[in-house]
Amino acid sequence: MSFPWQTLALNPLTAFGLILALGVLGGQIAKRIAHLPSVTGYILTGLIIGPSGLGLIQHDILSEASLFSDLALGLALFELGRRVDLSWLNRERTLLLTSLITSTLLFTGLFGLLLAFKLQYAPAALLAAAGVSSSAPILLEITRETHAEGQVTERLLATAGLNGLFSLVAFGLALSYSHFASAADVESVFLRPSWLVLGSAALGLIAGLVAIRLNAWLSGRQREAQWVLLFAMIALVVGLAEQMAMMPAMALLVFGLATRNLQSGNTLTDPTLLARSSFFFVAFFVASGAQLVPSELVRIWPLALAFVLLRGVLAMLPWSVAARSNGLTSKRGALLGLALTPMGSGTQALMLLAPSTLLSSQSSMLMPATLAVLCILELIGPLTSRFALQQAGETHE
Amino acid sequence: MLEFSTSQPLTLGVELELMILNRRDYNLTRGSDDLLELINRRKHGYDIKPEITQGMIEIGTAVHHKTSEMLDELIAIRTLLVNASEKLNLGLAGGGSHPFQHWRDQRIYPKERYRLVSELYGYLAKQFTVYGQHIHIGCPDGDAAVRLTHHLSRYIPHFIALSASSPFHQGVDTLFQTSRLTSVNAFPLSGSMPLVHNWSEFNDYFIKMANLGIVESMKDFYWDIRPKPEYGTVEIRICDTPLSVDTPVLLAAYAQMLARRCFEEDWNDIRVEHYLTYSYNRFQACRFGYDAVLVDANQVRQTSLLEDMLETLNALLPHARALGAEREHAQLRERVLKRNIDSQWLRSIYEESGSLSEVVRRQSERWMYGEIGRD
Repeated sequence: MSFPWQTLALNPLTAFGLILALGVLGGQIAKRIAHLPSVTGYILTGLIIGPSGLGLIQHDILSEASLFSDLALGLALFELGRRVDLSWLNRERTLLLTSLITSTLLFTGLFGLLLAFKLQYAPAALLAAAGVSSSAPILLEITRETHAEGQVTERLLATAGLNGLFSLVAFGLALSYSHFASAADVESVFLRPSWLVLGSAALGLIAGLVAIRLNAWLSGRQREAQWVLLFAMIALVVGLAEQMAMMPAMALLVFGLATRNLQSGNTLTDPTLLARSSFFFVAFFVASGAQLVPSELVRIWPLALAFVLLRGVLAMLPWSVAARSNGLTSKRGALLGLALTPMGSGTQALMLLAPSTLLSSQSSMLMPATLAVLCILELIGPLTSRFALQQAGETHE
Repeated sequence: MLEFSTSQPLTLGVELELMILNRRDYNLTRGSDDLLELINRRKHGYDIKPEITQGMIEIGTAVHHKTSEMLDELIAIRTLLVNASEKLNLGLAGGGSHPFQHWRDQRIYPKERYRLVSELYGYLAKQFTVYGQHIHIGCPDGDAAVRLTHHLSRYIPHFIALSASSPFHQGVDTLFQTSRLTSVNAFPLSGSMPLVHNWSEFNDYFIKMANLGIVESMKDFYWDIRPKPEYGTVEIRICDTPLSVDTPVLLAAYAQMLARRCFEEDWNDIRVEHYLTYSYNRFQACRFGYDAVLVDANQVRQTSLLEDMLETLNALLPHARALGAEREHAQLRERVLKRNIDSQWLRSIYEESGSLSEVVRRQSERWMYGEIGRD
């Protein structure tokens, strides 16, 4: 006779509970004992209990619990999109220009570096495009946890939003090129990347218009209903983008951007949106940690280290040069560049859109390089961002 | 011993405390340092400084004889501030208090005096994130300043009704026209100046309080009106910061007319009876604005604030003429007759939009870009 516990396998809910509970404990230990950001504690917890650590959580469970982490990523990207204020960018062209220069420098610099490390054009372009973006959940969680406020924080989040858009468009183009290089058909070369980029943007725009209308209909006296509606819309956009094989990240960024910039969009806001959703974020960060593969880092550490260092320099350089025109001191400008360190969450998922030939080919190195880079940036990113904001005098812990 | 500096009688200056807002949800934001750093890159010669919390900034005018000159200076300061805040994507707004900020989120400005205030008063210091207009009126000597302070205390409800612009507090409609004064009332040294008759008696009182270790300087008194010996002025501190950039000038003109009458008539009717109804009348004005019912303890009668203001304005007409402030007098009269009150304007936007963020956005647009003389 066997008892149920002898063959106990974690179902999604149990896995979610376990991820959350262990994540909270890890976050608190990191915060109270090691004085690290809670995010680092969550990620480390994931690394310890994940497939590369103790193996308490395996890939199948991670994918079953992905519903919660997808929502967290959606919420964060939506919020980051809201930080892109087009009327501000129109008035403050220096900010737009500095962001564009940063994105371009990052893309070309990283692309060159990856070529120097013998990656082929297509995977190098894909990884360089991903390297332009910064992690929305990490940046927002760090600013929330440290109560960071001020010009460095505002410009950091605005430029992270712009870099995110640049990164996704560049990724779409790189994808198009990679299909072309794999001698794929016309549909794969042109239609599919266009659908990914333009289709996702259209979905985000439509969601923005609908959300503003519904929000106005509910009116501000129904704050709870407005909050639930906003959450529902974010879940819908994540779900629809996945179902229609689009880029959820692009749809969510444009959704946030639309609600910020279209008329009456300012009423569609809830400053507590991220705080109220903290359990999704804990799950997201633990899952991110569980997906780290330190063995890849050990294998190709020179490439990963060079990527991380160059990325840091290329982000800090334009911001320190253009600091004064941005109303900052050179030091605070450089710190803003440093705070961009955490790399776009969801990069790994993004890479899965690449042609299967690239993913399976040993010579492309796309996935190993991505995993190795992420391994460093996920661990040091929260720390550097917090350090930068503290040094800029914008935190209030 | 406090020395009262001499200043030219009836000269004027105003200080305005303004909100610094993010342009996302129009909550208060920590922006005073960034704003000051940007503004101070070039010499501008204006008095712009931080206040107790970092979501506040204070502007002050120079000493003026004419309110029209004061308005020109305020507009120039506004232009400077608006240019800087547009670059930083910050909003600026008038109004006595922010409708939905949480006092807990506010940060004390890193300055020794504010740190001491925060240590002494605890949460009251953060709750002091409220925004007022201060009006300085030049006085020839300390005795005149004491007399003027008592004289003006009778008109405190008028100033409240003319400036009331803080109907919301911590996200709720308080039903008051100004909720800001409730935050001020919590301080132990708030209220009104004691019944001293001249500068010598005032000094005796001050020395007593200093010897008891309660105060160190005049800044420690949070009275509605107080003498300001270092400037040689009387300072009216009761007003909410109005929503438009030109309303402060009207309030200053009103104070100037009242002061002229006080000096011309050599008013010296300092009696305890005047203060019997001080707090009650003050409350009535805060709660009901123009609809307040004032109690006159001397004549044992009740009167409406609106009527009292119109009667006072009629009596002040010769003084307005003598000061060359007929236009301001007419605007004040029109404002009262139309029962024009900022708090009601804010409520009407909330009625229309259902969003306090939208209320603050419109409030900010009005201060930053509002046309002069539109109200």
